[in-house]
Amino acid sequence: MADAELKQKVEELIAANSVLLFMKGTPEMPRCGFSMRVVQVLEAMDVEYGAIDVLPALQPLREVTAEISDWQTFPQLYVNGELLGGADIVEEMFDSGELAEALGVEQPEAAPQAAAPAPPLQIE
Amino acid sequence: MAADLAEIKATIEAALPGASVEVVDETGTGDHLRATVAAPQFEGLSRIDQHRLVKAAVKARFDDGTIHALSVKTAAP
Repeated sequence: MADAELKQKVEELIAANSVLLFMKGTPEMPRCGFSMRVVQVLEAMDVEYGAIDVLPALQPLREVTAEISDWQTFPQLYVNGELLGGADIVEEMFDSGELAEALGVEQPEAAPQAAAPAPPLQIE
Repeated sequence: MAADLAEIKATIEAALPGASVEVVDETGTGDHLRATVAAPQFEGLSRIDQHRLVKAAVKARFDDGTIHALSVKTAAP
């Protein structure tokens, strides 16, 4: 049974943000490869989005999203109050142009770019 | 404990009769899997609902910790 107060807070956030990403870590520092892939897609789409780091309350949030949208894994991308999906679905919808349509933006020409690999450590 | 790929495949096939299912181990560690599923039950469903069907089929394996991550790719046959 999910925490009622947390559930209400999550529902309010989903309603208040037309594009909302629940992710592990932050857009600047994703803590999971799947979350990073969704951030890269959203950056390529050049849309404004809200991002919530689920790691501080992972299990309570799993219980809440299981009740709200029958989905327990993160990342989760909500657009206009509806769960679109996790990384696999978001990438598939990006490739097919469905994501641009859902977001109401033009399909970008460039594919989402993986962050440049960190340069090798220099040992002086 | 690493997942038994054949068992995961059989579990999905049992939940979605008529489906063609392929399960691969993405990382070689047996707990990050990729399932490609084409099922007649997907007809007319949104992607997220298609994924919900697959995830529901293997939920027990997530709950007991056998699988940590399952990438899913779905298609109507």
